[in-house]
Amino acid sequence: MRHNPPMPDSSPDAELMALIDLVGRRDENALRLLYERTSPKLFGLAMRVLRQREWAEDVLQESFLTIWRVAGDYRSTLSPPLAWMGLIVRSRSLDLLRRRSADRAHLTQEFDEQMAETFESSAANPMDTTDASEQAWALHQCLSRLEDGQREVLSLAYLRELSHSELAGQLKLPLGTVKTWIRRGLEKLRSCMQQFT
Amino acid sequence: MKFSAHPELLELLAASYALGTLRAAARRRFETLAREQAPVRAAALAWQSRLASMAELQQPVAPDPVVWTRIRNLIAAEQQQQAIGRQRIAAAAPASVPARGGWLRNLALWRGAAAAGVAAAVIATVVGLRFGEQLRNAPAEQYVAVLSDDSASASMLVTFDPKKQRLLLQRLGSYREDEDKSLQLWALPTGGAPRSLGVLGRDRTLSLPAHEADMRAVPALAVSLEPRGGVPGEGGPTGPVLFKGALIEKTL
Repeated sequence: MRHNPPMPDSSPDAELMALIDLVGRRDENALRLLYERTSPKLFGLAMRVLRQREWAEDVLQESFLTIWRVAGDYRSTLSPPLAWMGLIVRSRSLDLLRRRSADRAHLTQEFDEQMAETFESSAANPMDTTDASEQAWALHQCLSRLEDGQREVLSLAYLRELSHSELAGQLKLPLGTVKTWIRRGLEKLRSCMQQFT
Repeated sequence: MKFSAHPELLELLAASYALGTLRAAARRRFETLAREQAPVRAAALAWQSRLASMAELQQPVAPDPVVWTRIRNLIAAEQQQQAIGRQRIAAAAPASVPARGGWLRNLALWRGAAAAGVAAAVIATVVGLRFGEQLRNAPAEQYVAVLSDDSASASMLVTFDPKKQRLLLQRLGSYREDEDKSLQLWALPTGGAPRSLGVLGRDRTLSLPAHEADMRAVPALAVSLEPRGGVPGEGGPTGPVLFKGALIEKTL
């Protein structure tokens, strides 16, 4: 038996937007559904930025409390729903990183080791387009045309808000290589994204 | 700079700006241009929006189910506090009329008046029945407290389950005591000395036996940092208070 679609327009974006609207009206069940639908993706994002389960869980919790409080303002941001939630998670994650690195100013070495990852392990991290908006689909198309190294430095530069030299440190790559990959990656990304505008 | 002749250059600068890899001086120059020229601003916003979708492309990872429980409990506590705030405002309004407020507060007179009329007695019975029904359907936690540190960030959620006669503690923040220290939970009764409710272990959650009588007339709870194993004997807290918060009785 076929079930009726839950929303008039059952694209993932329309469904998430309807849920966010309900959350803005203090609907706790809608928050639960929104959490069920989006938490694996958002937790994956927090893990990518923080690489530490406990921190990522704290960030996910804080982010959903923020979403609960500001959902009423969502429409005016004109963003795809998952991108909007992702911005909240990323900014909370970066806040936590800043707090932690300040706490551990005297233990910088330990902190750097925790955040370091070998380039091979992160390059193996594939992209996932489940529930992605059209805009994310376009970005995915263009990123997948880049070389692995270019894609990784661009992703980490954005997600972790890292400078060229911080990227070189965390990925254990020469600074010149990082700069070249970013420049070439951005140039290819620019010409590719033109097709989608 | 004239970007109209070099549209690719503008795009590339805007993309670097949104990515966050422009150096400080170049960043400031770009921000100035964006404030002055709408096309520059538009290019920056377009790239910020495109790159924001990077968040949508990460591999999903399932979070531990306890995260949702924490979110739900915190929202319940927040809603509860707001509801109590509204009730206080509502309760304060009639009390500001002195004569009427005084009369209402005279409990003996109120009881007498209710007993005098049959109609009033019927209403009282109905109210009593409803009250009993609500008691049976009431959620298990009758008391709840969110304990916060000095910077007002929630650090611990305490709920009392009257059916099981247990206090449930959940650590929320990232605070961890040193190996030679323990956290101890205290009831702060009005006009009385702090009373120990128990010593916390290292786990994120803890369940302690407690009686409802322990929770009554206790407006606040606090957590202090003590030597490992807690304060010996019947003494009060010896270390600094790390977290505290109001204990709220859930209204039925």
